[in-house]
Amino acid sequence: MLEKYMDSYKALIIIPVIVTIIAVGVIAFNGIEEEIELKGGSIAVLELNEPMSSSSLENQLKSSLNKQGLSVNEVDVVSNSGKDVTVQMESEINSTAFDNALAGKGNISSYNAIGPVLSEEAMVQVYWAMAFAFIFMSMTVFIIFRELGPSLGVILAAGSDIIIAIAGMSIFNIPLSIASVGALLMLIGYSVDTDILLTTRILKRSEGTVVERAKEAIKTGMTMSIGAIATMVVLYVVTIVMIPDASTLSDIAAVLMIGLIADILTTWVMNLGILRWYVERKK
Amino acid sequence: MVCGEEKMKKRHVKEYFKDKRVILLFILIIASIISISTLGIQQGLDLKGGSLIQLKLDESVNKETMDIVTTVLDKRLNLYGVQDVKVRSSGDQLVIIEMAGVSPEEVERLIGNPGKFEARIGNESAPVVLTGAEITSVDMYELTDTQWMVPFKVSPIGAQKFAELAKGKGGEKVYMYLDGKLIDKNPLELSPELANGKGATELSVTGGASTIEEAQTRAQSIYTVLKTGSLPVKIKVVGASAVSPELGDLFLNGAIIAGLLAILAISIIIYIKYRKPLLVIPIIITSISEVLIVMGIASVIHWNIDLSAIAGLIASVGTGVDDQIIITDEVLGKQAKGETTEKRRRTRTKMSVKNALFIVFASAGTLIAAMLPLAYVGFARGSSGIGTLAGFAFTTIIGVLVGIFITRPAYAKFVEIFLR
Repeated sequence: MLEKYMDSYKALIIIPVIVTIIAVGVIAFNGIEEEIELKGGSIAVLELNEPMSSSSLENQLKSSLNKQGLSVNEVDVVSNSGKDVTVQMESEINSTAFDNALAGKGNISSYNAIGPVLSEEAMVQVYWAMAFAFIFMSMTVFIIFRELGPSLGVILAAGSDIIIAIAGMSIFNIPLSIASVGALLMLIGYSVDTDILLTTRILKRSEGTVVERAKEAIKTGMTMSIGAIATMVVLYVVTIVMIPDASTLSDIAAVLMIGLIADILTTWVMNLGILRWYVERKK
Repeated sequence: MVCGEEKMKKRHVKEYFKDKRVILLFILIIASIISISTLGIQQGLDLKGGSLIQLKLDESVNKETMDIVTTVLDKRLNLYGVQDVKVRSSGDQLVIIEMAGVSPEEVERLIGNPGKFEARIGNESAPVVLTGAEITSVDMYELTDTQWMVPFKVSPIGAQKFAELAKGKGGEKVYMYLDGKLIDKNPLELSPELANGKGATELSVTGGASTIEEAQTRAQSIYTVLKTGSLPVKIKVVGASAVSPELGDLFLNGAIIAGLLAILAISIIIYIKYRKPLLVIPIIITSISEVLIVMGIASVIHWNIDLSAIAGLIASVGTGVDDQIIITDEVLGKQAKGETTEKRRRTRTKMSVKNALFIVFASAGTLIAAMLPLAYVGFARGSSGIGTLAGFAFTTIIGVLVGIFITRPAYAKFVEIFLR
């Protein structure tokens, strides 16, 4: 089967490319949410004294905040376990006003108010950090392999991974936050691991045919991917069950799960195809 | 035969523990445990609970001005008895204040509106005789029983202006304002020696109270106001966040449980793949020792471990497991091809380990390269906004460095010796 697949590598490269293009479409069409910390606003984690429905809590907060003379358009209960509740508001509200609006229905265990001034700056920093991370990664890959074709293969695979992971964030409503940006950068690390393994095995080994070397690399690479995906599933489940408020960790785990699954496709279909193409042409 | 195998094993163990990298690994593990247990680990605010306030200056300022601002804010909070405060600048316009156990509202109340200090003599609509900008320094207040004094210095120009406007007004009331608000309903009187028209750069505010406590409170408030008034720029609160200690505990426990379960999951996968229990143990030990050594380094350099640092730790340990799988496969793959003599097998294994370490170093290099911009942004800007990601990037870089130079070569040695 693998031999057959290896023969039609040119046609197969098209699959990850199409997936990546679809991903770009999803991001463009569906858009991506920004976490409060990036777009400005307030977020509160509460402990309710008595269980309350999300909608009645929303209404109460909204009306009493408006009564205090604060115009609040949107109050969102993000999660509600009956006891622990996370509330998001689009405008910046100080915690005293929020506490008044809560009217003793519960206690605030964490409160965040972030002005839009800060967010604008944070956004710009997010984009710069990501752009430079990618440029630095590409430069390192070039230094390691010193050949244009294989280096581009690694870089394209990493780029597609990130794009597909962002599309996943768009579909599953994972907001662009400091945590998910971190996860996207971590993905660079995981992604190049398998790509460098593949490239090294194919180009720097002499024993066996290219197909045999690729086979060995796939065996090793799949163990790596399954291990990493399992870790992220564990992290995700534990965070969701035990500490739903630590969205930093669950967001990271979710983004990496999507990215790692995409990595299987980009490494073993796209990058392998590119490498095979490169080896053939060199002959 | 059995006896011979025993001897072999003993020889292997001896050889393993004689290796320099293995010795280094064990020394570092012990050193880390000692350092963690004696120095402790500084936990970030999101783990231990506390508040983080972000302040924005009206305009960007140079480093000296920024230093004045952070010093004044720090002193001011200490003065109010807020403990465990860290005031840092972030870039040229933002100030971050971190503290344990104080709610953000309290801090906002304390420093939310530190603004312009002004003083007028005679009546409330009289011209301003002194502004905060003219105060060059304020000394600590002095108490003599119920009498108190706050000495301060003004610029020569300020002294001249003050002298002209205060001339002949001895005994009249001095109204002091902070941000246009009258500070004291019972204003102090101007002492006659300041009304002689001669410019003096060293001035003081003095007063008396009925009790020592009251005197101290009055002196402290005047001191703080003068200090605040001498802040070169206006400040406003742009962000505040708080985490209760209970929530922090929950975060920490959750992260530890997730870490342990992740290691368990990886062990199971490794066991299913290789069917060699002998392999599972070193992979677990390597992963745990990576965590221990990074924590040890964090405790020595007083690096804050917060949620993003934990994420960084996961990233470096995760890629570490990847590396160990590469090393194992490289060695086992070559063995499968079979070599007849022990000596040739040895050379082969050594070659395989070398090949594997090339991949390990190459991928570590790219990960570090990707993390550098983030670490830079963080250090350049302090922990505002994306700066919190610096903790993540920095921990990842340290973790990867510990991995490629200490733990992963030691693991390679293990595979080299025990799997042949």
